[in-house]
Amino acid sequence: MAPDWLPRAVAGLLALALLAPVFGWAAGQVGYAEPLENAAEMTGATDDAEPVEVAPLPEYGVPGLGSAPGTLVSALVGTGLTLLVAFGIGRALGEDPDGAR
Amino acid sequence: MHIPDGYVDLPLAVLFAALSLVALSYAARRVGGEVSDARAPLVGVVAAGVFAAQMLNWPIPGGTSAHFVGGAFAAILLGPHLGALAVATVVAIQALVFGDGGLVVLGANVFNMAVVEVYVGYAVYRAVAPHGEFRAAFAAGWFGITAGALTAGLQLGLSAAFRYELLTTLAIMGVGHLLLGLVEGAITAVVYRYLARARPDLRPNAAPEPEVGA
Repeated sequence: MAPDWLPRAVAGLLALALLAPVFGWAAGQVGYAEPLENAAEMTGATDDAEPVEVAPLPEYGVPGLGSAPGTLVSALVGTGLTLLVAFGIGRALGEDPDGAR
Repeated sequence: MHIPDGYVDLPLAVLFAALSLVALSYAARRVGGEVSDARAPLVGVVAAGVFAAQMLNWPIPGGTSAHFVGGAFAAILLGPHLGALAVATVVAIQALVFGDGGLVVLGANVFNMAVVEVYVGYAVYRAVAPHGEFRAAFAAGWFGITAGALTAGLQLGLSAAFRYELLTTLAIMGVGHLLLGLVEGAITAVVYRYLARARPDLRPNAAPEPEVGA
């Protein structure tokens, strides 16, 4: 049985995912750089970074799709996948593992 | 704060992967068999919220940006053990599906964001809570992310790629996230206050879990 707050929570998650391309664009405008990247530049480590070759949606983009739609698809897929996996973990640690499903 | 592969020396990556494994096994043992049917969806929603919020990069002009990490937030809402498992889920999906954070250093990233930020954040929350929950949530987000950044700085500064410049990495990571942590703290406190008012029943220590099947 789904709790009564679930539809509102999912609507909130959807709103966050829709914001992702907007923030992605804005971060690109100002030259987004985290302290980690600053530390890498200062010590000359930047060239040592190795991208993950096997990621299906590399850097939150869809190969062949534009930046904004790619970010949006990534946000939706990632949020949904995280929801399912973490829910599954919660269920696996539950009182009655054979409950629903 | 997601470290890519190639930045951290292999023995260190293995060490922190082992530490993360120990911490998450402990977390799972502590909550195993105690997550009520009503609470399992909350674990999913909090983890998904942390994932979605982490995609919102704050565009701060001037060279140092960040995004919400949410370890302390998850700890306050879910309790530290479920919080750690929820954030570890996020960090694992980010690496495996999106290449955000390396695979060899996955354990180190989990350690910084899902173990250190979560448990330090929760400890700060508990320590400050007698002086007000809003302040406690703010301090938890602020110091939680700073602690996670410091362990990341430690891993980087003890690695060859960063030429073992430990003081530089600790200073940049620590000071950078101490400042950016003010935003983390503010978001943690504001969203927590909103949720606590809207649904006081969802707080981990608000009421005992209802007896299932009784």
